[in-house]
Amino acid sequence: MTEKQCLGKFPLADEPNYEGMLQCMRCGFCLPSCPTYVLTGRERSSPRGRVALAKAVADEQLDFTAALKEEAYFCLDCRACSTACPSGVHAGQVMEACRNQAHEAFPLTGAVRKFREFILQRMLPSPGLLETSMLPARLYQKLGIQWLVRHSHILKLGPEWVDKAEGMIPALHPPLRPQLPDVVPAVGEQRGRVAFFLGCIMTLMYPEVSRQTVKVLTHQGFEVLTPKEQKCCGAPHLNEGDRSTTRSLAQHNLDLFMALDVNAIVTDCAGCGAALKDYEELLEESGDQERLTIFRSKIKDISEFLAEQGLRTEGLKPIEKTVTYHEPCHLCHAQGVSRQPRDLIKAIPGIDYRELNEASWCCGSAATFSLKYTDESQQILDRKLENVQATGAELLVTANPGCHLQLAWGLKQAGLPQEVVHITELLGMATPG
Amino acid sequence: MTKATLDKLTELLGATNVLHEKEDLLTFSYDATPEIQHLPDVVVFPTTSEQVIDLVKFAREEGLPIVPRGSGTGLSGGSIAVNGGMVLCLTRLNKILEIDEENLTGTVQAGVITLDFFNAASAKGLFYPPDPGSQKISTLGGNIAEDAGGLRGLKYGVTRDYVMALSGVLGDGMPFTTGGKSVKDVAGYALKDLLVGSEGTLGIITEATFKLVPPPQAKRTLLAYFKDIRTAGEAVASIIAAKIIPSTLEIMDNATIKCVEDYANIGLPCEMAALLLIEVDGHPAVGAEEADGVKAVLHKVGAAEVHEAADADHAAQLAAARRTALSALARVSPTTLLEDATVPRSRLADTFDEIERLGEKFNLKVGTFGHAGDGNLHPTVLCDERNRDEMERAHAFYHELYEKVLAWGGTVSGEHGIGLAKRDYLEKQIGVGGVNIMRRIKHSFDPGGLLNPGKIFNDATEGSRD
Ligand SMILES: Cc1cc2nc3c(=O)[nH]c(=O)nc-3n(C[C@H](O)[C@H](O)[C@H](O)COP(=O)(O)OP(=O)(O)OC[C@H]3O[C@@H](n4cnc5c(N)ncnc54)[C@H](O)[C@@H]3O)c2cc1C
Ligand code: SF4
Ligand code: SF4
Repeated sequence: MTEKQCLGKFPLADEPNYEGMLQCMRCGFCLPSCPTYVLTGRERSSPRGRVALAKAVADEQLDFTAALKEEAYFCLDCRACSTACPSGVHAGQVMEACRNQAHEAFPLTGAVRKFREFILQRMLPSPGLLETSMLPARLYQKLGIQWLVRHSHILKLGPEWVDKAEGMIPALHPPLRPQLPDVVPAVGEQRGRVAFFLGCIMTLMYPEVSRQTVKVLTHQGFEVLTPKEQKCCGAPHLNEGDRSTTRSLAQHNLDLFMALDVNAIVTDCAGCGAALKDYEELLEESGDQERLTIFRSKIKDISEFLAEQGLRTEGLKPIEKTVTYHEPCHLCHAQGVSRQPRDLIKAIPGIDYRELNEASWCCGSAATFSLKYTDESQQILDRKLENVQATGAELLVTANPGCHLQLAWGLKQAGLPQEVVHITELLGMATPG
Repeated sequence: MTKATLDKLTELLGATNVLHEKEDLLTFSYDATPEIQHLPDVVVFPTTSEQVIDLVKFAREEGLPIVPRGSGTGLSGGSIAVNGGMVLCLTRLNKILEIDEENLTGTVQAGVITLDFFNAASAKGLFYPPDPGSQKISTLGGNIAEDAGGLRGLKYGVTRDYVMALSGVLGDGMPFTTGGKSVKDVAGYALKDLLVGSEGTLGIITEATFKLVPPPQAKRTLLAYFKDIRTAGEAVASIIAAKIIPSTLEIMDNATIKCVEDYANIGLPCEMAALLLIEVDGHPAVGAEEADGVKAVLHKVGAAEVHEAADADHAAQLAAARRTALSALARVSPTTLLEDATVPRSRLADTFDEIERLGEKFNLKVGTFGHAGDGNLHPTVLCDERNRDEMERAHAFYHELYEKVLAWGGTVSGEHGIGLAKRDYLEKQIGVGGVNIMRRIKHSFDPGGLLNPGKIFNDATEGSRD
């Protein structure tokens, strides 16, 4: 790849889209929604500032500097700015593309690079390896979700960080993927057939949650297909700025799922759902537009899917609890799914639903953010915890493993009584059998 | 900027409140005005009023221009450091100091966000009416410096109508306080009124006291659709002529409706040529009477459809959607060049005709929205700054439009200020004599010409010359 082909001072092709950056008219509407801006009050850590920096690189007013790399990684990719922006700018995506650029501008060396490559290019794309080798167990016991942690900091992080990672790990169960039958039949009158996209973190860290997802789907009348050959959705890679591995994973999953005769492809991980819905753009240049559009239309978050199909409430057991709901960024901002989970929760008999103030404000987990910028993440989390406490609810429902980890850890640290459950666990409790 | 200078600033404010890396300067090189950008030499964030005094003293010693800045949402380039120097950003001087329920006033530091103040007043059962489209991020200091208007301007007035007292620092380093909580005050010249709308060229405002009012008891929100925009303009004039003063009377043309609907998804009529968003408020009985009166006028002038907001939430949604109009227009073109022409309301329909004629003449795509009830329109050319020919035509469009607006007794800026963007038109409107008086005023407030130089008129030091 020669330099001449690249836009402005970007070191690599695959630059952020220039028209997309020009779209920012600098109105500042996104500023109050951006957790990193609210935290620092620094324009360069805001969506408007980040886009301006990337644009300056494109316009050759700025080299691709360390500060830009820093901003690219500081960005939570929470997409709150996309929801807030009337002009249709996606600063989170611009920063995602900049993370990819950062690897070219600041190549990693030695052990750090090898470790990153091993995790991103060998372990994650290969579910078998991930699940059977001893490494994963060591990873989560010692380092928690370190496999998601961004390269250069891996070795620089201090003991405080390792403590935090350890404290976050839920009790481990055997991974779910090998245990799930390829086909689980519908219970009662069949309403359709769906494919289940089982995310890496879900199978490894929250197997019991995803088991509930399958149970809920079947009890709602859907036959569930879980193809074993599915691979990581690519979100960690995209997050890490490894676009080429992301593309090959996307292509694999696209081919695999498009071969199935299903009404929908359902996931219970908001991060995976957002990534799968982005395949259309990611693989744009493959010229496979028609299949991509169909694939895109089939991807559904579990709440989105159930709300669309209509929840069968007959026979649901009442849950006499007070419940509140935290919106995962990758569900509400990235996928626009906001009302549906609330409607589902309220449809369960017995539930006393309490709205959470600032429900769509990032919890500070945002993929690896919570481990890398520990202080900032803590401040963002504290704001969330205060709001949770104010609801007085017994259960805090969410729908994404990253949020789940962060919130459960935060509540535990703060000595708050709320239990965190995934929405399908809640639905699972209400489902007989 | 030398290391010694930076060290002094750091000593004054602390390291996190002094920014000088290129990436930081770049992100303080713009506001919301297209086509203008310039790097400052340093950006400082005072956190106390005393620090502002120190900073002005420091800038005088160093001969650094000072450019006050709020959130950088200005639309005339006011907070851009065209001559470099020190951007003095007030967003960290942001405490709400008091809501005084006895005197119905609120006192704030200049960096408080407009909407936060509104909410704090609401929490005490009081109402701060000025609500610029940018309220969720603009600062009150910026609002005062631009004398910002808003969606409620027609009935409730603009920022100026609520400012009771100001304190801050003049360009020569002298602290000032002007006005107070007394409802009446004629002691000497109305300095506070000079400072309102002074665009950061006379003094740096650090604190302000605003008048608050009791909120209206009830509100009715109407939406009227039109098949042609001229009729919408006539409707506005007829509502006013019927002696009804709605609190809100906003217009959006077809291009704006489409963009806003694309973003907000609230069922706006994308096939209509224009819509009016109308709000009447007050005592429920009066509100009802006025709503009926407005409806009658709308039917008479020939509105295609008239609807009423289902409930308060729906009404709030509509107002929020209207506030996104400018940003939403940016969905369809990289550059949105917007203007701020304001005419006597009887001329509104003519102005729409003129905008349409000029759009055709210069072959431009124009989206128009604005505070129609105030006669304040924002015709926005949807263009691409990379296309020089198109940009020239866009400027020619405004040039001709302004000639007409001035001939009709209008103004080149209703609320966004002169800044850099409209300097050339100021003299056309107020004459050489007018500009010279302003220069003399500027000179007496800021003899060194350090405060926001180059804004409103060229070369501030000319103030001493006649
Ligand atoms: C989408 C959008 C909608 C808008 N809608 C409206 C509207 O409805 N009505 C309206 O009037 N305007 C509107 N504006 C324009 C703009 O928001 C206002 O002018 C606002 O008052 C600017 O506030 P700010 O804090 O961003 O100030 P900035 O843009 O940072 O500064 C504006 C000017 O004020 C000066 N200044 C700032 N703070 C101080 C201070 N403390 N002391 C002295 N000088 C100071 C600056 O030097 C500059 O000249 C809109 C802008 C956008 C982008
Ligand atoms: S990203 Fe969108 S909301 Fe933010 S400043 Fe740019 S146009 Fe405005
Ligand atoms: S994605 Fe989140 S953190 Fe990143 S710029 Fe947008 S709002 Fe800020």
